[in-house]
Amino acid sequence: MGRLPKPILAYFAIMAALPLFMGASGLFYDAFQAIFVFSLVGLGLNVVTGFTGLLNLGMAAFMAIGAYAFAILTSDIYPFQIGFWWGIVATVAIGAMSGFLLGAPTLGLSGDYLAIVTMGFGEITLDVLKNLDAVTKGTQGINPLPRPTFGSWSLDLQQERGWYWLLLGFVLLAVIAVRRLERSRSGRAWFSIREDSLASQCMGIPPKRTKMIAFATGSALAALGGALFAALLSSTGEPASYDFQVSILALCIVIVGGMGSVAGTLVGAVVMVGMNSLVLVKLAEWAGAAGVGNASNVLASPNNWKYLIFGLALILVVRLKPDGLLPPRLEGGAS
Amino acid sequence: MSLLEVRGISMRFGGLTAVDDVSFNVDQGQIFAVIGPNGAGKTTLFNAITGVYEPTEGSVRFRGSPVRREADARLGLRAAIVAVLAGLGAFLGINIQELWMAGIDANYTLNQPFPWGKALQDALGAAREVPFAWGVLPAILGAGVGAGTVVALWQRSRRTPDLIARAGLARTFQNIRLFTDLSLVENVLVGMDSRMSNGFWTDLLHLPAFSRERAWTEREALDLLQFVGLSERAHEAAGSLPYGHRRRLEIARALASKPAVLLLDEPAAGMNPSEVAELMELIRRVRERGVTVILIEHHMKLVMGISDRIVVLQYGKLIGQGTPAEIRADRRCIEAYLGTEGEG
Repeated sequence: MGRLPKPILAYFAIMAALPLFMGASGLFYDAFQAIFVFSLVGLGLNVVTGFTGLLNLGMAAFMAIGAYAFAILTSDIYPFQIGFWWGIVATVAIGAMSGFLLGAPTLGLSGDYLAIVTMGFGEITLDVLKNLDAVTKGTQGINPLPRPTFGSWSLDLQQERGWYWLLLGFVLLAVIAVRRLERSRSGRAWFSIREDSLASQCMGIPPKRTKMIAFATGSALAALGGALFAALLSSTGEPASYDFQVSILALCIVIVGGMGSVAGTLVGAVVMVGMNSLVLVKLAEWAGAAGVGNASNVLASPNNWKYLIFGLALILVVRLKPDGLLPPRLEGGAS
Repeated sequence: MSLLEVRGISMRFGGLTAVDDVSFNVDQGQIFAVIGPNGAGKTTLFNAITGVYEPTEGSVRFRGSPVRREADARLGLRAAIVAVLAGLGAFLGINIQELWMAGIDANYTLNQPFPWGKALQDALGAAREVPFAWGVLPAILGAGVGAGTVVALWQRSRRTPDLIARAGLARTFQNIRLFTDLSLVENVLVGMDSRMSNGFWTDLLHLPAFSRERAWTEREALDLLQFVGLSERAHEAAGSLPYGHRRRLEIARALASKPAVLLLDEPAAGMNPSEVAELMELIRRVRERGVTVILIEHHMKLVMGISDRIVVLQYGKLIGQGTPAEIRADRRCIEAYLGTEGEG
């Protein structure tokens, strides 16, 4: 059986135990909930870019599609109201479908051209969400969104621990799914396209179909991330929360963690998102306490130079560990 | 009827004619060699046969049929579905705002039951009021573009390498193209893909068919590695193999699809004499498995030693064909190979 390797099991054991040692600190939960959401998006991008070698710069668009699809189908401002769980199922299906629809005409493109198309798709999606205000409520976003229910019990927004474990559970499911695909016929076909697309095609692998399945899988995971992100805030937020920088953040996670490595993606999400929502927030607090926090000074708030740190982290990783922090390893043994 | 018939193939790139009206037949069970000086068009010919290039003229018939996709009901169905979706998409893309307001906003009050039937009617009513220029016209255009794209893409992909590989022609490459980050077994398993039947969901959900297929495919992949003498390194990365072994792995990967024809592009390039001898032995054993072998090779000892039939190419033209003995006696062929003046 495809057991999860030890580093991944250790990750889940530590993550599951962590809240027991943390008080009710809001900052901790905010940070880790974001980490888990971006782990899902990163896992999706890892399938597309890490496994299949297709550079996708529009992951945020699929997150947005997921968030809005979930919101429209579940929010009580619209008549659909299919509930949290069916909403998640429908969102994953819609995410996969949108991946197919974008992939069908564009996956014949190679390398840089595909990157540009996905980037454009991200921008178009944002503009559509902003301007289609009858449906998407424009810059207000759609809210409120329903809470997940388990039988008669439902998870309140304030129950940070519950949300933490719920999201961790989704990440675990996604990891199992991606690992299974990685070590199956589909995964091998994806790798072969990444390694040498001509040789792969000459071995009988249909390139377009194989790429479309990878694309749809990645989009479905990103959409799941988006839906949970929205559910967590009980709002889709404004369309600008899914801008190009989010796509880049997803890419950074995969590069820093290690292209094509599931364990790496999890670590990449902890490093990149953790830096963003834990380290920077703390820095800002300290800066404030030390009296440096002067609104007129651009450098006072770390938020203003977080992209500088992102860039620095990326340069350091690419210089020192070009394969990422946890590069994929060949696994010995037939299974 | 020959197994593979190459009929009048020409391959032109702009003004350059790389292959010029080449015809020959390959019979079942033969070892068939294509020789000629560098730049004679041998690899181009291979690429034309295996679908990497579409021949400018001429055709390749395998078991009597041109291997390519034929227009059938499925193509029509796909074009129709895409046309409907594209038309609907174009219409909705322009008018969704009005339809949504008429159907949903106008009928829904918070936490009141929603009249689905009336909403649908209102939305359809709104759809009917859309002016021709913003409704029917974009829908027609969308449908046309959608169906056109399907047909155009189909036209371009009638004879692709994957289709030809699945039909039973497997190949290796002059500049070895392995999947270097994958293990040896995985390389062979990729070659075996066309014989696998498990789909995405079987693999994702680990349905019973998953383990069954994994068991036999892995067993067979290891057997093939044994056949080419690489089984001790089965789980190492292909990129870690020394050069001579890479060639053999490529052959194992190509054999994995159980092809009827194996095309080898300069398999002996860069090998030392003892490796060449081993390779000759391997090619003979491949033939014993019932596989017809077509090879491009410069190594004359190998070509003359194992081939049943040889064709000679020069400047893209076929200048001679026959048994090794006949080729050895043919003045034109000898000249072509030794080169006339002006050739480097």
